[in-house]
Amino acid sequence: MQTMNGASVSASPLEAHSAAKKGLSGDDGHSAALWIAAIGLLLVVGVPFTFIVLQAIFPELGRGSLAAPFSNLGKTLSDPLLPRMALNTVGLGVAVAAISALIGVPLAAFRGLFKVPGAKVWDALMLVPFMIPPYIATLGWIMTLQPNGYLQQLAGFNLAPFLFSLGGMAFVMALNCFPVIYFGVSRTLEAVGGRYSDVGRVFGASPWRAFWRITLPLSIPGLAASLLLIFAMAIEEYGTPAALGRHAGFEVLVTQIELRVSDWPIDLPGASIMALTLVLLSFSAFLVQRRVLSARNFQTTGGKPQAFNKRPLGPLAVPVLMFFALIAFLAAGAPLFAILATALSRTISGGLVLDNLTLANFSRIYEDGAGALKALTLSLSLGVATAIVAGLLGAIASYVVVKTKSRGRFLLDTLTIIPNALPGIVVAIGLVLAWNQPWLPVSPYNTSLILLLAYCCILLPQPVRYTTAALHQIGDNLEAAARVFGASRMVVFRRILLPLIAPSLVASMLLVFAVASRELVASLLVAPVGTHTVASFIWRQFEQGSVGLGMGMAFVTIVLTTLVPFAILILLRRASGHDAML
Amino acid sequence: MRISLFAAAAAFGLAVSSSTAMADITVYTAGPASLIDDLAAGFTAKTGVKVNVFQATTGKVMARIEAEAANPVVDVLISASWDTATDFAKRGWLVPYTSPNAVNVPDFLKTDTAVAQGVSALAIAWNPKSGTPKPAEWSDLAKPEYKDLVNIPDPAQSGSAFELTAALEAQSGWKLFEDLKDNGAVVAGANAEALNPVLQGAKAAVFGAVDYISLAGMKKGESIDVIFPASGTVIAPRPVMILNWSKQQDDAKQFVDYVLSDEGQAKVAATALMPARTDVKADRPLIGDLNILKIDTDAVYSKREETLGKFNAIFAK
Repeated sequence: MQTMNGASVSASPLEAHSAAKKGLSGDDGHSAALWIAAIGLLLVVGVPFTFIVLQAIFPELGRGSLAAPFSNLGKTLSDPLLPRMALNTVGLGVAVAAISALIGVPLAAFRGLFKVPGAKVWDALMLVPFMIPPYIATLGWIMTLQPNGYLQQLAGFNLAPFLFSLGGMAFVMALNCFPVIYFGVSRTLEAVGGRYSDVGRVFGASPWRAFWRITLPLSIPGLAASLLLIFAMAIEEYGTPAALGRHAGFEVLVTQIELRVSDWPIDLPGASIMALTLVLLSFSAFLVQRRVLSARNFQTTGGKPQAFNKRPLGPLAVPVLMFFALIAFLAAGAPLFAILATALSRTISGGLVLDNLTLANFSRIYEDGAGALKALTLSLSLGVATAIVAGLLGAIASYVVVKTKSRGRFLLDTLTIIPNALPGIVVAIGLVLAWNQPWLPVSPYNTSLILLLAYCCILLPQPVRYTTAALHQIGDNLEAAARVFGASRMVVFRRILLPLIAPSLVASMLLVFAVASRELVASLLVAPVGTHTVASFIWRQFEQGSVGLGMGMAFVTIVLTTLVPFAILILLRRASGHDAML
Repeated sequence: MRISLFAAAAAFGLAVSSSTAMADITVYTAGPASLIDDLAAGFTAKTGVKVNVFQATTGKVMARIEAEAANPVVDVLISASWDTATDFAKRGWLVPYTSPNAVNVPDFLKTDTAVAQGVSALAIAWNPKSGTPKPAEWSDLAKPEYKDLVNIPDPAQSGSAFELTAALEAQSGWKLFEDLKDNGAVVAGANAEALNPVLQGAKAAVFGAVDYISLAGMKKGESIDVIFPASGTVIAPRPVMILNWSKQQDDAKQFVDYVLSDEGQAKVAATALMPARTDVKADRPLIGDLNILKIDTDAVYSKREETLGKFNAIFAK
């Protein structure tokens, strides 16, 4: 963690000189980064992905046979439902990204460019939706909006027709995803600062014109990266389309993949082929993003110090705060209320009445030491470990891709894109196929390390996208200047680039932590025998009809996963005396 | 620095990983989780043999076995669908074994290679607070009183739901399902997912709920009633099998014996499943109390895709 605290941006000439005396360390640092990125990515992404491709080609791979190659390809791809499901998938991804942008961009613009009262509190509240597992949030919404749900019990009406529609599904998913835009774009806007738009103002542009023509276009890397992430999250999300989409008769690829691997006879090759279709979709989205980014130069962080004073909101203060409050209520307040209400109910059918109130579910979590507490410890540890490994690997990989001219960086870039759209279940299958080979002398399979590998693979795109966007905005002249003063590449990375991308990196690591500590789909399949994560514990309770206990556990987890990052941030800030992120 | 952090993270991962890699016997099982936890603890207390458990839905368990096929680790499999036992036997993956404790298990619940652990039946799960009359028959749920108030578990996701669909279709054709659809019934995920809206009162009844989940809810004080239609229903025996790649076949056989022992069967009864042995008491309707629809499983499963296609065509309209 120390590297991240190295806050001083300009290396003193003396230090730079001593670094230069170390001689060849520049190229060493460069190639070390390349090797770490290459080996790390191959291990985390390349191995499971290779086995998925092999499985798609060789249907008998699971039994160690390469018989009948390509025999399943035609059958799966000629499924008459496939084009419609692919279209549905893209439509859902676009809808969720669009609604997330509608919610997230205005919030981010106000947060990044203006003095919003209570900004830190709003940041914290906007982090909460990300801590609520999507399948839990969806169940919460169902229990709130369905007939006789909590809304009806409190207000006398229900919104079931809206919830069980396409729009309702996209809206619920967007409430879970928009923080990606809020954090990504508000940071970018802060970095873009008022400086460039001030220049525009000097030359006579109106504030709006300056925003539309200067600030917004310059923040496109952050926005494009966030939109791509949301699109990818939406097309690989399983829980919400499964719970809400079926009512609307809306099948997507992921629900079909799940069906193929849970319906005997298990169709692993079919699932793999469909998963590769998903990867293709996400890859196309990535190519669009690259076109947008490569067309222009977005470097805004030069060597000059920037004193950026945010503007006061003025008369806008009240409506803006109301907007923040409304979104915070919808995205954090309402689902949390539903979760807590269910966890505190003796029976579901009892409803929101005083004599149905009980703490029994929470005391069962506390008493059930073996099960619940062990699952919590494992999930939180895995969350921290995933954040560290995926965060560092992601930062190094995007550095190699953006800032060096290494050969093979396109391959590295591709490896970081692939997991974007690999559904968790398919990653899990790839990992089992790869690591359960009888000839392997040691294998992470059937230890918790396999979960770490799965989470790193699934979540790697988060730090990669965030840090790539940040690196795109750092002028090459900063690095060149340091090199002139004799700093090695390693020193440049550590003393200049890392501190500058640290806010984005830390933000993405927090997201990785939050998602890893509650990942469900892959955990269900690859969890070592006898081991439970938080999500599989909760899922077991739901499956047995103990919804209250499951919701209690979900609530405890949400509180803990929200508090742990704050504790880390406070420690970081104490240690560095420097405002890292929140 | 970065490398050492990497190493630290890896070491950390190792530290949190529990030492479950090599154990005495490994059991893969469909739910209920509390039952297998109980059985494993009881078996270990009795024999000293440790049991490692992987519990998931039947589908997830099968997916794991399929993906692990190159290097399988499972010794004993407990599925929620008898179809698994038939299919695995055909593949020659099972060890023939007849437990001495299986004497009182009726013949239709055991084969050379599999024996039922317990049995569940499908029923109508109905919420008495829903303001609807108490249903008695499957066809009642197509009446106007239940308009838009019925959930049907997805036969593509639940083996027993599929068998019920096939059995009722054989009995009276697709008309019943068309009527249900016209009456606003919806297909709602797997079993627990279909039940929750009924508990909260969003729906009045589940058409073909797995009985033991609802019975357990009833014990907890949920407002739910379980009705077995007199016209008949289907049962889902849960086969226990020993895999032929198991290196601990003797321990595995002991485990099967334990599941069928008085103690094991009492644990089965405590989760509101029907015990496989007819001489073990349970506080719930037993196989003898139910009218069980006969189905020709071979014929039914060979037409599975066709049946599901027809079902989906009705409900996707």
